[in-house]
Amino acid sequence: MTPATPLWEFVDITKAYPGVLANDKVCIRLMPGSIHGLLGENGCGKSTMIKTLSGVQQPDSGQILHNGKPVTISDPQAARELGVATVFQEFSIVPTLSVGENIFLGNMPRSRFGVIDWAKVHNEAARVLAEMNVDVSPETITGSLSVGEQQLVEIAKAVAMDARMIILDEPTAALGEDEIERLHQLLRNMRERGTAILYVSHRLDEVERIVDEVTILRNGCVVRASGETKINVSEIVSAMVGEDIGEHYPKEQNATKDIVLEAAGLATNSGVKDVSFSLHRGEVLGLGGVLGSGRTEIARALFGTDELTGGQITLNGKPVRFRREIDAIRAGLALVPENRKFDGLFFNFRASGNVTAASLGGLSRFGVLNLKAEEQATHDLIRDLEISTQAEEKTVNFLSGGNQQKIVIARWLFSASDILILDEPTQGIDIGAKIAVYKLINRLTREGKSIILISSDHDELLAMSDRIAVVQHGTIMRTVDASDLTHDDLVRASADTPQSKPKEAFA
Amino acid sequence: MKRIFDTQLIGPFAAMVIVALIVALTTERFLNPGNLSNLSLQVSIVALIAIGSTIVIFAAGIDLSSGSMVALLTMILAQMLKFVGIPLVLALPLILLMGGLLGLFIGLITAYGRIPSFITTLAALIAFRGLALTFNNGSPIFSLDPALEPIFYGKLFGVPMPFFYLVFFYVLAAFTMNFTKLGREIYAVGGNPSAAVLTGINVRKVQTTTFVIAGFMTAVGAILMSARLNSGSPNYGQTLELQAIAAAVVGGASLAGGRGNILATLMGAMTIVIVQNGLNLNAAPSSVQNIVLGLIILLAVGIDMWRAEISGLMGRMFGRPSSQQSSNVKKEA
Repeated sequence: MTPATPLWEFVDITKAYPGVLANDKVCIRLMPGSIHGLLGENGCGKSTMIKTLSGVQQPDSGQILHNGKPVTISDPQAARELGVATVFQEFSIVPTLSVGENIFLGNMPRSRFGVIDWAKVHNEAARVLAEMNVDVSPETITGSLSVGEQQLVEIAKAVAMDARMIILDEPTAALGEDEIERLHQLLRNMRERGTAILYVSHRLDEVERIVDEVTILRNGCVVRASGETKINVSEIVSAMVGEDIGEHYPKEQNATKDIVLEAAGLATNSGVKDVSFSLHRGEVLGLGGVLGSGRTEIARALFGTDELTGGQITLNGKPVRFRREIDAIRAGLALVPENRKFDGLFFNFRASGNVTAASLGGLSRFGVLNLKAEEQATHDLIRDLEISTQAEEKTVNFLSGGNQQKIVIARWLFSASDILILDEPTQGIDIGAKIAVYKLINRLTREGKSIILISSDHDELLAMSDRIAVVQHGTIMRTVDASDLTHDDLVRASADTPQSKPKEAFA
Repeated sequence: MKRIFDTQLIGPFAAMVIVALIVALTTERFLNPGNLSNLSLQVSIVALIAIGSTIVIFAAGIDLSSGSMVALLTMILAQMLKFVGIPLVLALPLILLMGGLLGLFIGLITAYGRIPSFITTLAALIAFRGLALTFNNGSPIFSLDPALEPIFYGKLFGVPMPFFYLVFFYVLAAFTMNFTKLGREIYAVGGNPSAAVLTGINVRKVQTTTFVIAGFMTAVGAILMSARLNSGSPNYGQTLELQAIAAAVVGGASLAGGRGNILATLMGAMTIVIVQNGLNLNAAPSSVQNIVLGLIILLAVGIDMWRAEISGLMGRMFGRPSSQQSSNVKKEA
């Protein structure tokens, strides 16, 4: 079944940065009409490999063969000319431009007089979108689309340039379940047409579903290259981490009978309607549902970010009213936001400034900060949560996603919050860091703290929650024990929501 | 202490020393005691106002209003002293209060009216100059009070008074920015306003506070300006706001907010004033001075923007490889 020559073959690619051997003799063969998964923990050399493949940087040594002939990919333009399209994790679309303009950005069809041929832009864009089965008009302003649709526009750019190979870096990090399914269908169609696809992801359940073969990197080396079609998740995990990690989801049962928080009939102008639930001490309450179903909005309503237009929150038996975030924080609530980059971290601070940001009042006397206590507490938390010690000296933009997420959680450990709302806490972080987050959840519940977990990773939500509230259209449809729910139930329960646009990002 | 005197000071300090060396080598009179003392007088007004401008920039705002506010406040002070007959000891605190209130007004409109500070302070820049002209039919007011001049020209232990104001306010500002809750909140708001909201920081209040500080420091500058010339004039303080912002930028404050060191602003102000002084001593016309000031600002921002490339280049030149280039570019994106 192996065709004679691979479309692309990368032989012994080596790339060193000062002090780090990022890629050590990595070999990858990409076949036309095949989806190839590139896996590994953060820092394993995946990004380096992608940069080499897309011409962003040059390898120190090694050979690149295209259809069996040696080539150099000197820059991103050269990669494009060789038919390689890269969809990076950070979108490169311009939100204020139309879909058509984005698809042909930098490559606009011109008429004879050098003027942009708008008819051709729209017709071609419409053709590409129709081919992809995407129901979006080329004239739509891209920023008004949902994140999932924007992702599809990003891929449409690759399709429009007739890419023979597409590299997708974490393509589903921001997508809901049915959007992922749509993307996968699209990738299967492209595979049919003989496109080679390199699929980089942390979501192993997805990898299992879509890829034909995998290459696993660890510390810059290939630890496993599989030409087989049958992929076993637990084998992948142990290959990635380098040890048998045993239980992937180390769930502890710490829920008690005491109710700490009760919500009755909550409503907001951001779309939350009649939300009622109770949260027990030591419990993990999962909020399931698709992207845009209103889970994040429920979190914002609880945290005092969005004003309640109806309903009542009761905390430890006392009715409370949070006029703003600080009221919720003082009452013991914490919010780890979905987008740690935009809403969570202060990239201008080291770990210390990030850890104490929500507790400056308690840390200061007459407005003067106790910097010694801050350094000490940060030092302890870094050690406790096994955060990279670089965080003590450097600003947090130098840290990996997993370390960054731990720092956001550390902020709420420092503030001694009792109820933590974790919105997509493991999005975009590697397996090792995910497990560290799960263990952290256990530790918190063991200490009698309660957690509201929002996650689009159904396996994670099912495994880590005690009960799950299914959210649709901004309201909780039903609340059930996690053990009574299967993956399929959850997908079905949340999937029949019509696509709704996610609320505009925090203003 | 390592927090205040950190690496952010090295660049601005080096720039200041290099500029001073160049001027000292090319201009004989530069190192005369008379000139040096004159230099500290010259830098004082812009450096004091720049404290406020810099703190506004730390919170990701911009203050264009200070130059006009100086003109307005000198006219109000002159009016009070000369025509209303308010004694100096009462007039000075009133001017400081008014500066703070004008700042509060700008801050409230900016933060709660959600209008970018570039616009609110641009409007203030124009309106304050107009307001200043409504006093005394738009003419300057001279010979205000004999007790006013010593505030600027007086000496204590042989050291000009403005030197003490600089030390006092810069120590206070450095303490505020590095050791207090307010300072931390200002950096947090400038670094990531939406994260600041979600950590319970009252972002609007913090933003407003930075403008109150800026207004207050502008009032301090206005008093010195009046004392220096024993007068008030609607024409005082032209382009002073730009010089103050330039001092912040030359000192390495990021216009995107959240990053910078307040003490570096003093060095930035010194750098600018030394250059101006050098040009003055060499009898360069003011047109040339403005062109040079423009180039300095461009160079300072350029160095900030191209930092990654520069360190990469240095690495190649001196054989020390730089790995931060690619990661920086990615993280900034």
